[in-house]
Formats: sequence, C-alpha cells, structure tokens
Amino acid sequence: MPEERTYLIERNGLTLKNELDASSPKFLRDRYAIAGVGETTYSRGSGRSTRALGTWAVRNAMRDAGMEPGDIDGMLSYSGNDSTFAPFIAGDLGIRLNFYMDVHGGGSSTEALVGIAMGVIEAGLCKTVAIFRAMNGYSEVRIGGTGARSAPPVTGDQLHSRAYGWQAAGQMFSQTFMRHMYDYGTTPEQVAMVKVAHSHHASNNPKALYPKRVTVEDVLNSRFIVKPLHLMDCCIESDNATAIVVTRAERARDCPRPLVLIRSVAGRVCKPRSDMHYQHGPISTVAGHYAKDILWPNAGLGPGEVDITGSYDAFTFTTLLQLEDYGFCKKGDGGGYVSDGTIQLGGKRPNNTSGGHLCEGYTHGMSMVIENVRQLRGEADDSCPAGQDGKRQHTFDYSEGGCRQVKDAEITANLGWAIPGTGSAMVLRKG
Amino acid sequence: MIYQRDTMAYDKPLPVIDNESRPFWDGCREGKLMLQHCAECGAWVFYPRVLCTACHSERLEWEEASGEGVIHSFTICHRPAGPAFAGETPYVVALIDLKEGPRMMSNIVGADPESVRIGQSVRVTFEKATEEVTLPKFKVIS
Repeated sequence: MPEERTYLIERNGLTLKNELDASSPKFLRDRYAIAGVGETTYSRGSGRSTRALGTWAVRNAMRDAGMEPGDIDGMLSYSGNDSTFAPFIAGDLGIRLNFYMDVHGGGSSTEALVGIAMGVIEAGLCKTVAIFRAMNGYSEVRIGGTGARSAPPVTGDQLHSRAYGWQAAGQMFSQTFMRHMYDYGTTPEQVAMVKVAHSHHASNNPKALYPKRVTVEDVLNSRFIVKPLHLMDCCIESDNATAIVVTRAERARDCPRPLVLIRSVAGRVCKPRSDMHYQHGPISTVAGHYAKDILWPNAGLGPGEVDITGSYDAFTFTTLLQLEDYGFCKKGDGGGYVSDGTIQLGGKRPNNTSGGHLCEGYTHGMSMVIENVRQLRGEADDSCPAGQDGKRQHTFDYSEGGCRQVKDAEITANLGWAIPGTGSAMVLRKG
Repeated sequence: MIYQRDTMAYDKPLPVIDNESRPFWDGCREGKLMLQHCAECGAWVFYPRVLCTACHSERLEWEEASGEGVIHSFTICHRPAGPAFAGETPYVVALIDLKEGPRMMSNIVGADPESVRIGQSVRVTFEKATEEVTLPKFKVIS
C-alpha cells in the first residue's frame, strides 16, 4: 500500500488533518437542517401522474417549512425512469431553479441527495433545496420488478444474471439472508419480528396503508415469494410522493417548525465490489460495514447515543443487516437485536416508528427520513388529541390506535439501502 | 455435456452477446466454461472485462476453467422473474464460488430445490437455449 498523504485543510477556523480522514471534526456538522417535510397519501392506485404527486409533495414540504416558491431555488430527485423531472415540478409551483439534478436510483438516494444538497448550497450554487421522490410503484412501474422491469434486453452485467431468473429485488437480495442464517444461525422467526414491530407502529399511524398488527405466525404462514422470504417479509408496493427541504441551519431557525439539524451523512457507500452477486467476501456483510466509518466519526457520536433508527425495510432482513453492520449490535447478533423488543415502540431504540416500507407505504427511503424529522420535532402525526395550542398532546401509550411519539427523542439515524453492496445513512438531531 | 431443453421455443430473457463476453458464450456452446485469466498477475476474472480487475493489465487470456465450485448461497424462487419463468418455479438461483476464485450466478438443476445447501460442491453442465446461446448451469456432486 502506498503511504497515505496528509493534507491540511483550513475551513471556518477549523483545520482538518486529511480530507479523506472521516474522523476529522467536519465543519458541516449541524450547519444544515431539514426545514420542511411533506408527502401525499400512500395509496394503491393513485389515479394521478407522478407529476401531480410530486407537485403535491413538494408543495406540502414547502408549506411545512413556511416557505414561498421564491425561497426554494434548488431541486433534486431520484427515480428509475418512473418519475417526473424536477424542472416540471418546479415550474408547476412557480419555483425558479438555480440548480437541479435528477439522478438514477432508488433506496439509499435520500441521504445521498441530502449530502449533495448541502454541498451545492455550500458551494454557492443555490440557497435551499427541495428533494422529492414521486412514484406510482403499484399502478405504473411495479417495484417488485416482474412486469415492465423484466422487459428490457439482457445486456451489460445482466448478461450473467437475468438469464437465470434473477430479476426482482427479493430474488436479488435473498441469497444474502440465506447466507446470514448459515453464518450466524439467524432464524426466520427472528426476522419476522421486524414485520411484527413495524406493524405495531403502523397501527398508530393514520397514514399507513397496512395498519393491521400481525404476529410471527402470520409472517411465517404467509406464502413463500423467494425462500427464505415469505410474502410478509417483503415490503408493500404503493403510489405516492415524498419531499423534504434542506437549507442552512441559520435559515431554518427562521422556519416555523422546531429545528432539526443534519449531524452527518454518508452517501451511496459501496462494498469493494458492489455489483451484487459477485461482490467481495461474505455476502452477509453489507455496505453499512463501510458507511459506519464515515457516519459515526462525522456525527461525533455512536450508535449507542441514537434514540430512533430508520432502517430501509425493503424486506424484514434488510433491517437486521443494516442495524448489525452500523454497529447497533455485534455482527451476527442481529437476529436477537430485532426480536428482543429493542426496536419496538416502548423499547430501547424503536425502528421505523411509522411502520416503514413494510407497512406504511413504499417511497424508496424518504418516508423514514420524514418520520424521524417529525419525531425529533415531537410532532409524530398519530391519533393523540390536540391541545388548546393546536399541538398534539402525546400520551406515550403505544397500544393499538394510540401514540407513536418517542419520548425525549434527541438523535435519530436513517440507514438507506440500495442493494446489499451499496448504502447511505444520515444522523439527525434535535436543534 | 450439453443438453437441449425439451421446450419448443425458448422465451426467457436471452443475453445480447457483446464483444467482451463473446468468448465466454462461444465456450458454453462447445461445452466449456471459459474464464479470463491474467497473464501478468494470474488473477481469474469473471464476468468478462476488458482489463484485469486486480492489476489492470490488458493481457487477459481465455482459459477453460475446471467447472467446479461450491455453493456460497442461494434462494428458491417461488415467484418467477416474469411470466417466462412461471413454468420453472420453484427454481434455485445460486451463487457459486468457482474453484478458480470468481463468484458466479447460475441455477442449480437436477436436484430437489429443498435439498440444496450452502457448501455443497457443484459442477457445471450446459443447457442449450438457442443456436446462439447455451447457458452454464450447475449440478450438485456431493
């Protein structure tokens, strides 16, 4: 290995010892904020175009931030050729853009785009960025991937995969879980507890598409999709749009909602080889193993200080793999961690308090960020009654149909997942 | 050994063979599992590429591999990858650690899917899909 070079970098009165050293105290920590969040209804059959859905979501996030069209001049979106580009949404809302970019990608995009938004604002390209994801994941391009997504010709790296009947996300990822069971003795009963926990959370979320509480038996008795994954181990497919507004902390202090600061971001961190099935080493280790070394040093804290996690629950087991590789438990102990009550509301560190992609709706990751922002504001949108000041009076009674606000939530972590080999993450804190 | 599928017309997604991978597919048609082998550093490379992934040398040479490997992991697909695979379910998609080193995706054939295990030794077999395309598949040998 060549000797690592050291560069001294001066910024804002701080000296960083090496631009590649994630342990340096980064000068952007807590300097940016998520000032607004918004979404459409989660549905199966929106009857609306992605342009309509995206416009609604960005409008809602903009209103939440107390901003006018002239306050927003940057826009980012992500999709898999199944959405509407940012300039159309901006135009429909009277937003004149100084910067926009529409990128390819699904899960792991939200956190990565937050990082890009911070970067372009810092570079002086624009001042405030709206990020959205609009999709008809049920009625147009099924995310399960056996319809329109199986039509394109088999070229490139897919030459050596799709011909073998490897296409949908479940087929792509389940080998990873199978190997985890082999390496560490993880059981289907343990990962079923992820669905159980998230369904309990969804039962206290009026927005959730699937608010019914389920049991481990319900999960294990549902039919196999790709063994070892049952139907209920898989997330739902839905039509919806979600949006967040990123701006400087100073600007966000002027916004009406309680301040939520961006502590740290890791974007689309890859394993040494991220082309899925040929990736390096044991496939039961995922990108979080590498992303954690950027996320935690930049945040200046560790997993032990996190109050709420937001995992990418495309499947039950993806939650387990992320929590484990980001260090919330020892490698291999994820089965115990997700099944011992820790991740449930009322537990030590609840995960996906909205019900996540398994129960609330599928948004390629952004909804879990929205949920954590609301949690840090103390404004989880559950069924608790509003007080005279119009603010929700949280009861912290987590029984069915009740509260889902986590008491005194200060720090959250979102763990984004694209594929086992690529992931993003973000730490937020109450301002 | 190359066996012909008994179905009349092959309607599953077929590789559009490109210049980087052509020798691989040519080998399959002749019943040989061809991999790239670096003449400079000795690394084995799969899937086919233009430069050695270890040392970036251009001297990648095609050599016949042993065709043997071990199952690293697998899944049993009960839902097909599109309508063309509907008649195949349940089928096994496996990741095979080839004896030479690279990890390869394929199907395990000729075995009850429920009997397939991680760690089993497998050997390549060839399935003719069309005149142009023959797919390498694997059979359990232990």
